[in-house]
Amino acid sequence: MDRSIIHINVADFAVAVERCLDPCLVQRPVIIAPAGAARATVYDMSEEAYRAGVRKGMPLRRALRLERGMTVRPPRPARYEQAMADLLRQALPYSPLIEPGDRDGHLFVDVTGTSRLFGPAVDVAWRLRRQARKTLGLDPIWSLAANKRVAKVASRLVKPQGEYIVAPGDEAALLAPLPLWLIPGIEAADLDRLHPLNLDHVHQVIGLDPVHLQVVLGHRTAAVLEALRGEDHAPVLPVGQAPPRVALDHTFATDTHTSTDLHAALRPLVETAGRQLRQQGRVARRIGIMVEHSDGRPCARQLRVEPPSANDLALWPPARHVLTLATARRTRIRHMRLICDRLVYPPAQLPLFETERRTVLRQERLVNALDRIRKRFGTQAVGFAMEQMASAPSIKL
Amino acid sequence: MADAAPSTVDHLRVGTSGYSYPEWCANGFYPPGTSAREMLSLYARRFTATELNYTWYQMPKAAAMERMLPKVPPGFGFAAKLTRTMTHEIDPQGWPSQAVQFREGIAPLMQAGRLLAVLVQLPPAFDRADTNRRYLARLLDALAGLPVAVEFRHRSWAVDPVFTELEKRRVTLVTVDVPALPHLFPTLPVVTHPELFYIRFHGRNARGWRSGNMQKQFDYLYSDAELASWSRDTIPRMAARARNGIIFFNNHVRAQAPRNARMLMAQLASTMDPPQPTAADPSR
Repeated sequence: MDRSIIHINVADFAVAVERCLDPCLVQRPVIIAPAGAARATVYDMSEEAYRAGVRKGMPLRRALRLERGMTVRPPRPARYEQAMADLLRQALPYSPLIEPGDRDGHLFVDVTGTSRLFGPAVDVAWRLRRQARKTLGLDPIWSLAANKRVAKVASRLVKPQGEYIVAPGDEAALLAPLPLWLIPGIEAADLDRLHPLNLDHVHQVIGLDPVHLQVVLGHRTAAVLEALRGEDHAPVLPVGQAPPRVALDHTFATDTHTSTDLHAALRPLVETAGRQLRQQGRVARRIGIMVEHSDGRPCARQLRVEPPSANDLALWPPARHVLTLATARRTRIRHMRLICDRLVYPPAQLPLFETERRTVLRQERLVNALDRIRKRFGTQAVGFAMEQMASAPSIKL
Repeated sequence: MADAAPSTVDHLRVGTSGYSYPEWCANGFYPPGTSAREMLSLYARRFTATELNYTWYQMPKAAAMERMLPKVPPGFGFAAKLTRTMTHEIDPQGWPSQAVQFREGIAPLMQAGRLLAVLVQLPPAFDRADTNRRYLARLLDALAGLPVAVEFRHRSWAVDPVFTELEKRRVTLVTVDVPALPHLFPTLPVVTHPELFYIRFHGRNARGWRSGNMQKQFDYLYSDAELASWSRDTIPRMAARARNGIIFFNNHVRAQAPRNARMLMAQLASTMDPPQPTAADPSR
């Protein structure tokens, strides 16, 4: 049976919530960023600000120079969480399979097989949008497709407003003319390999012989082709089920508090977490560490990973930082757990600036090479040396 | 009413409002496990026309329309429902450009000669107030040249000046079969366009009509006797006044619509020139 997956997406979610609270912000360029912080970066922005060149993660000072009259509002995560909970509550009567995003205005609802109760899936999608407008003041995009990947692409096509119904069987025709970066599951490194060959659109890649693609994409060939064909067998998770995450544990043979021991234990955890994330085709937006001290007292700390990543080299600095925070108490550690959560599809767009772009691509190439070695010779075959991992992306074999 | 009175109906088509209902597999209309992508071609083996409901939810896209055409045999026709942003959720500034978009979206059907009608279904709250009259006039102007059919839900439109104006504009008034409820537009077999009459059977579930749930609203199975009054009397009279006729059943719940459509086709076969199925029945 064809699946019916609805994707509800409130574009520029934080701004949309702020506009509900303050209608004066409607149709004005709005930036959500912490006010007063010396090095504040943009958390979210309105469509008007986006058109002016503002991007997420951009330094606020630079963003404000792009256009006069930008309104800046501080992020209020609690409000966004409440709005997400309200969106979720409206969808609850229609399906037990609802997968909300993390305070980002995204909601997947699987209404397969519910038409006898609630009518056609398209009508449920429209009603969800109408309820959101009427009761929450939000005007979400909605799309309907046979899987999450295609539903998400369809939403991206009509952003910031609108709807898109993808009839089963129309997936290939929908995706064929699209640029590769628009397809969830296509990573920056894939784009970097395909672009020099003038392969920038789905139809250009999908028409190639997989054997030829293998030369360019290597082990990523199958995953890339699956994404470009619009295939996605991932289920919509049931409501209340813990969101996907990667959690890894290490118990010290002897309780310790020396940074060398702690880092030595953390390093393989980060590498394994990165590898598992890459295998899932996801990136983590948050990294956390829970430690248990010798006296049994636990401590948990977490940090945002900005930009979201599955790359060991990008995960290592926040992992070290959060370890320092979690082990601030001068008591030995017995057990350590690393958690990467708030998983999302990796953003395929490369960083705006050339230097960052080079660094990201170099790191991705390196990690992909490591993955290939580990796949062939085992997970212990190669690893990062401690000093290098802490600073530069080089390895010792 | 229409002056021209053709003596015979060239094409009388009976079908259902929409064809892509997964529950129709469980109810025996489609074979179990039929994929949504196969439904149109299977449907077209039994009926000669369908109403496209999804164009109410989403602006039609020319590419999607083009992909639909090869799935149906020659002679199969479509009625496309006008998008909700021009009927139920009117955008005061944006609707003229949406009317242009709609034309572009359905152009492949028009060019292939498969577009039977553009169904303008107006909501129950759309009464005959001055603003609504002006809007409808402008909308019909914007859709001029298309085979437009208007379905009213509010009974205030059931007056002669409305029919005269539709006649003047060569716009079809949709005849509806609905529950006998106050405020609803009544069943009026009025023909306003000599080229086309259009009938929609919504079912007579008075209790479910205002439930807000389509599964209750359109859960109704017409009896032989109820349809017989249409096939013996009303439809032949309307057919005598228009060259073409399309009849759709919207009581889609539990595949009652295709069942009633077949029932009506059988009755019409005994009273007038029957609509001809185009190919073998898929269930055989």
